[in-house]
Amino acid sequence: MISIENVSKSFPGVRALDDVSFTIQDGEVHGLVGENGAGKSTLIKILSGIYPDYEGSISFNGSVKRFNSVHEAQQGGIATIFQELTVIKDLSVAENIFLGREPMRRFGMLDWGVMREKSEEVLRFLDTLLNPRETVGNLSVANQQIVEICKALVLNSKIIIMDEPTSSLTEHEVHQLFLTIRRLKERGITILYVSHKIEEIFEICDSITVFRDGKHIGTVEKSKTSHDEVISMMVGRSMNMMFPPRTAHRGGLLLSVRGLTRRGEFEGVSFDLHEGEIIGFAGLIGAGRTELARALFGATALDGGEIELYGEKIGYFSHPNRAISRGIAYLSEDRKGEGLMLELSIKENISLSILKKISPYFFVQGSRERELVQSFVSKFKIKMTSIDQIVESLSGGNQQKVIISKLLLTESRVFIFDEPTRGIDVGAKYEIYKIMNDLTAEGKGIIFISSELPEVLGISERIFCMREGRLVQEYSREEAEPEKVMKVLTGGNAA
Amino acid sequence: MNGETSRLGPLSSLRRLFQVREAPILIYIIIMIAVFSVTINGFFSMKNFEIISRQITTIGIVSIGMTLVILTSGFDLSVGAILSFAINIGGQGIVLGWPIWIVYPFMLILGVILGWINGFLITRLAVPALIITLGTMNIYRGITMVITKGVYITPIPSVYQVIGNGYIPFVFFAAVLGFFIYVTLTTRFGRNIFAIGGAEQSALYSGVPVRRYKMIVYIISGFLSALSGLILVGKSGFVQPQAGLGYELNAIAAVVIGGTSIFGGSGSVLGTFLGSVMLGIILAGLTMLAVNPYWQGLITGILIVLAITLDSIRYLRR
Repeated sequence: MISIENVSKSFPGVRALDDVSFTIQDGEVHGLVGENGAGKSTLIKILSGIYPDYEGSISFNGSVKRFNSVHEAQQGGIATIFQELTVIKDLSVAENIFLGREPMRRFGMLDWGVMREKSEEVLRFLDTLLNPRETVGNLSVANQQIVEICKALVLNSKIIIMDEPTSSLTEHEVHQLFLTIRRLKERGITILYVSHKIEEIFEICDSITVFRDGKHIGTVEKSKTSHDEVISMMVGRSMNMMFPPRTAHRGGLLLSVRGLTRRGEFEGVSFDLHEGEIIGFAGLIGAGRTELARALFGATALDGGEIELYGEKIGYFSHPNRAISRGIAYLSEDRKGEGLMLELSIKENISLSILKKISPYFFVQGSRERELVQSFVSKFKIKMTSIDQIVESLSGGNQQKVIISKLLLTESRVFIFDEPTRGIDVGAKYEIYKIMNDLTAEGKGIIFISSELPEVLGISERIFCMREGRLVQEYSREEAEPEKVMKVLTGGNAA
Repeated sequence: MNGETSRLGPLSSLRRLFQVREAPILIYIIIMIAVFSVTINGFFSMKNFEIISRQITTIGIVSIGMTLVILTSGFDLSVGAILSFAINIGGQGIVLGWPIWIVYPFMLILGVILGWINGFLITRLAVPALIITLGTMNIYRGITMVITKGVYITPIPSVYQVIGNGYIPFVFFAAVLGFFIYVTLTTRFGRNIFAIGGAEQSALYSGVPVRRYKMIVYIISGFLSALSGLILVGKSGFVQPQAGLGYELNAIAAVVIGGTSIFGGSGSVLGTFLGSVMLGIILAGLTMLAVNPYWQGLITGILIVLAITLDSIRYLRR
């Protein structure tokens, strides 16, 4: 039993955790939910030894312990699987599992036999077919996560903390992960499952703790609560609608692609996008959706196919700035690597895509820039101190709004949104759906890529199922039932 | 900076001053000048400041180009080699008796061409700029040595020495400095190089022509290296094949000590200027104190390690 008693943690200017107390029972899957900035990560870092300085105490089966390093926490039986996996891609599965505690023979030689044997043992326990000799870099993210879990098992961890474990998994892989979690539970391992995906929490957890603004709002047993109750605990208000009602009407043809092909990534992809329309691309990770979006946007070259934009045949875009100048904007799934410059200000980030417009004679017109940026910032209610604030210090949802502002300034007509709601909290998600809705109401078209099936089905007019680089099925919103779509995505035949 | 300052009183404006990236180094410089002025007779004199200004000019101009390169997350190890190539190969024009108004542009164009080659290779090959310019550095120097066979060009006509007289080198330095401070802070090009260094893919997806700007940055670096070469020739009165040896490392030192992030995306041209001033003052002070010259390398090294430590702390804090 882990008792967290009156734990507080402050950073300059912020009280990240404020007098938090709750208990995690042995052998349960304990869900920890809360919007971004609620204090979940801070608690994880305290438990896993990264932040040894905190007020209050944490006791394990009655004895108070304070870990000064990740290593100490591991010795104490706590393993943490962070959202950013810590596997080393160039090493094999077995080497990763034993990283830092490799079994040795005499003269400091590695004992490969024991490493493989024990690796196979834990892999078998988790029911996976992974080969201990396989290089981890060749594995899917889901399987890399399995390797992390194996690491924890070899350490004989009693408690495994999982931080947003499904953020880059597809629905099918999430299902696999849940099977694994249930096995761990059978073995008596306690799991602290940190997520903001309510559906998952309800599927896998026995009890649920809710944080908001660094405070403990409550701990409830799953059987005695409801989605709505937990969501209202999280956001401090009740939210019965997940998706805003769609108000846009379908207009003329914006974009029409036929037989788009890029070898090794996707093949023969054809679809149309109309004004006022959101078309959803559903698929497992690796189905080729992001690759398709990149090629369409001119970030990579196409090997074949035709693109027709606003009724005019065009070749391929040789550079993203050509696509932008013709009115196509792309929001990448990788917010930090392909969307933002973290150390630049909100203003500099937002105006980047339209510098050409506001610097007609090469010099940036400062007042015009501030004016434009300010108007978007207030329109989207981005929480900040000023537009000169560094983007890095914003929450995930607000960062996403910065990127969207940047894209909207380009006055594009076709938007490609690739996982726009990944890693952001419920309230911010709703706002992003609303922005998408507003855009289409103005006659813009949106290509919407998401690995979260409910949202694809929830706001798209038409749903394209992509599998292994091909569009295998198209559904209208009425036809698309989750089970049916899932079956198509995972390789079954269309019903 | 805005209304808040006055409302919060003088203490807060002092704190604000410290938040300016260049403030700490400016304060160190003032302290060093004060200490040396008190301890060394004749340190605080126009003559000495002229000497220091002349000393920092050539590397200073090179390090401004280097700043732009490093801001884009790049590197240019070939600056010294370009300098040497420009004045030695261009200097063949002096040997042939060409007029100065052809020789000077010729030298500068050579710098531009070599910079263009760097940029071309860096934007086309998936190899870090550090390695590519390590290669071109050796190639450029190799060609220079093969063609000149290691022979100095001397004597040279006195018109080539005009640019090296008195404060003239520093005037060039100041002009280049002012121009690039202005360019980095107010132009589209300036904004874009910060963006490229901050996150290249993000910049690309925002429509920034990443390749073109990276090319331009290396071309500027090549051009400024050649310009620095002209001034070096003016100051020394001859053209030597080994010119510019070690400039790349000293330039990087000035950039890093000046607070520009080695990871790209943040920093300033003004900081680099202060970095070169600081190195110049240390050099002058230690020379006048008759300190063994080996100490100078040691101190420069410590400053670099300190600056990089601060930078990586900032970077890792993310």
